[in-house]
Amino acid sequence: MKISHLGLLAGLLFAGIVHAADAPAPTKLNTTADHSKFKELQREFGSGSEVTKACLTCHTEAALQIHRTKHWTWELLNPATQQRLGKKNVINNYCLSAGTNLGSCATCHVGYGWTDASFDFKSQENVDCLICHDTSGNYKKLPNGGLPPVKDTESPPGSGKIVKAIDLAKIAQKVGKTSRDTCGACHFFGGGGDGVKHGEMDSSLASPDKEVDVHMDATGLDFTCSTCHKAPAHDVAGSRYIPTGKDTEGAHIRGKVDNSNPATCQSCHGQAPHKAGAQPAKLNQHADKVACQTCHIPQFARGGVATKMNWDWSTAGKLSPEGKPLLNKDAKGHVIYDSRKGDFVVAENVTPEYAWFNGEVTYTLLGDKVDKADGITLINALGGSAADGRSLIWPMKVMRGTQPYDPVNKTLVMPHLSGNDDTAYWTNFNWEKAIATGMKAANAPFSGQVDFLKTEMYWPITHMVAPKEKAVGCNECHTRGGRLDKIEGIYIPGRDAHQLLDLIGWLAAGGTLAGVMLHALVRIVRRKN
Amino acid sequence: MERIYIFTRFERFWHWAQALLIIAMLVTGFEIHGTYKLFGFEKAGQVHIYAAWTLITLWVFAIFWHFTTGEWRQYLPSFKKIDLVIRHYAWGIFQGEPHPFKVTRARKHNPLQAFAYLGVKILINPLIWISGLAYLYYNELEAAGVALNLGTIALLHTAGAFMMLCFLIAHVYLITTGHTVTAHLKAMISGWEEGDAEHGKQAS
Amino acid sequence: MKVHRLVSTLIACGLLCASTLASAYDADWKRGRIYYRSVCTSCHAAQAIGAINPSSMSKAEWNAYLQKDKHAKGKDSVKQYFSKSYRASIRSQNKAADKFADLPDDELFEDVKLFLLKGAKDGDAPASCG
Repeated sequence: MKISHLGLLAGLLFAGIVHAADAPAPTKLNTTADHSKFKELQREFGSGSEVTKACLTCHTEAALQIHRTKHWTWELLNPATQQRLGKKNVINNYCLSAGTNLGSCATCHVGYGWTDASFDFKSQENVDCLICHDTSGNYKKLPNGGLPPVKDTESPPGSGKIVKAIDLAKIAQKVGKTSRDTCGACHFFGGGGDGVKHGEMDSSLASPDKEVDVHMDATGLDFTCSTCHKAPAHDVAGSRYIPTGKDTEGAHIRGKVDNSNPATCQSCHGQAPHKAGAQPAKLNQHADKVACQTCHIPQFARGGVATKMNWDWSTAGKLSPEGKPLLNKDAKGHVIYDSRKGDFVVAENVTPEYAWFNGEVTYTLLGDKVDKADGITLINALGGSAADGRSLIWPMKVMRGTQPYDPVNKTLVMPHLSGNDDTAYWTNFNWEKAIATGMKAANAPFSGQVDFLKTEMYWPITHMVAPKEKAVGCNECHTRGGRLDKIEGIYIPGRDAHQLLDLIGWLAAGGTLAGVMLHALVRIVRRKN
Repeated sequence: MERIYIFTRFERFWHWAQALLIIAMLVTGFEIHGTYKLFGFEKAGQVHIYAAWTLITLWVFAIFWHFTTGEWRQYLPSFKKIDLVIRHYAWGIFQGEPHPFKVTRARKHNPLQAFAYLGVKILINPLIWISGLAYLYYNELEAAGVALNLGTIALLHTAGAFMMLCFLIAHVYLITTGHTVTAHLKAMISGWEEGDAEHGKQAS
Repeated sequence: MKVHRLVSTLIACGLLCASTLASAYDADWKRGRIYYRSVCTSCHAAQAIGAINPSSMSKAEWNAYLQKDKHAKGKDSVKQYFSKSYRASIRSQNKAADKFADLPDDELFEDVKLFLLKGAKDGDAPASCG
């Protein structure tokens, strides 16, 4: 008995050892560091900051690099317009302002714990490494501080919904390069939902096919965001505050010193990208008046996710007969009325609007004078014209809205929307209280009166590049009533004509025809006689 | 009945090829202008440009032919009997009068005709070709420092096109004013003009 | 006492074997996602068989389904859709099959399995495919 037991034991041990010997983990070829092998990460983490601390033991410069960027500060100064921009300062016609709504908005901050002005922007451990560098797809941040759930948490509080705890150690051990998923965790969901804001950036870009975006095609080029939006020292290239309106430089090549924006089309494709087809030279020549995006992004919101096109805050506040907030959806399941926010218009496969744009954006900021009587107030006015030599015709998403303003002081307002207090609009539905709180926190005057005005905000379209066969056809612009109908200052063959010349010309031709027909008629008549 | 061989093989080929190309250019040209939609802007533009180059090539041959054969003299302006010719078209033709001009190898066009064709060659054609090439090479010219207003180029080109259209309408009709309705057409096909024996006689 | 030691040793061996097997391949859920969307859902969407998004089942249900290996009510096996031969047969029309044509069968299977478990109803990030 003993011997057979011993034999069985030996056999099993042997099998175990052999098994272990013939299946070692294969050498990773896509990285020099397998983070699961680091002792610093083989422990339990009680918070995101503990993870960051561990990251910083090797990546000593990372947090300080982040501190220099607008992902961290949410602020920047536009040197051309001298405007103080960034999420901290800008007003839009979506959720209006981050201001006193950090509980919701700062869930997308690359840090831990920003809920109010007491946040320590100098702290390195407050930097959130995992939001961008997670590769497991399981990392989460909760509202009110953007902290990861280290234990099961009820969120939102009092809702009964439980967010399961995540294993920070496992996530930390699997960190890697940024991906469309990690950038998109925030940038796809701006404005409070999937695809709401940009129109050309939504969850369909996590794993798109070629029809949706040729560069991000998951089975093709599979570009990540950082393939174009290069981030030396964590400073991500490309900005909606200071975009590149017209890139006249050539393609970026190794060895060539190039400080221009690496996220433009030209930085890869150069200035003469059209090579095949009937008239490649003519197409290349369009590039000094027409942005690449105008022809190559025929519609946005093409991935099956709808985007918001209109947001009417003035109708917010309607409650059900029982006094509960309403959430009304259309036939496709899109929310079109939310008591907390008002009425929405959503759309898919939207044809952009077009405008001359030279890269200068001027925002209507807190304190700038606005008036309902102006008709439409521009949240961000785009600089550019046909004649300035620096503009191209760009495609835009035009976000239209109706939002609250102070009719006495004639300024836009930054209402306090989210929060567990008695003035937040989303729980109290009182504009005067919400705006008073928000404006006080911003050190801005508020008359106490609230009215609504119409606004427009311009979002240049640059993602969801369609395959070249699906580019906008010549007919769609070189025609009357076409895409470029509202563009002024340029002669477009097929669209424009000199009315007087046409009139004279057709009269002359018609007259000649009439004349010869008359001549012929007389000859015929005379011949008979 | 006299028969004179007035249109050589090359001349007939040149005429019909030119006619086809000009019609193609008018049809596609006015589509590019935005007057109607037929082939689509892209196709119309392609055909227009190919036709243009083909016509330029044809013209190179034609100009060479005009000089080497001396046929350029046919277009020297002449006022001989022009008043009679005008009177014929305005009045005499309705009376059934014979045409006052006698076609010869040396002078196959009547003075009015010669003037019309000369007008096309030195007025309409240069206008349309120079503006057309400027339109096509607008960007290259700008790069070379010659900045032109595309709208102005388009205006000139369209004006030339309308003139060409009027000429075409008048020309096609006037073909029928031979001693028979189809006499001139047949001449441009076979090369032989059937001359009316009474041609050249003064109207009484 | 001896039996107790034997049992605990057996368990230790078993765990040793299991852990080496598990750590041998680091499954790539993103590859699983691409393959699943391109090969599985594209067919199901075209034929309106019914939703097969990951969140339609729980982790246990997915594990059981993959273990049972019966596809289309037992007409064929699930695993064959991850096989190299299947990928070779569809690669001219399917870009994912083409891109992953040379992956070992079991690696691709693990990739898709990780994606499904991650996106399951009770998984870490339930995926409903919009």
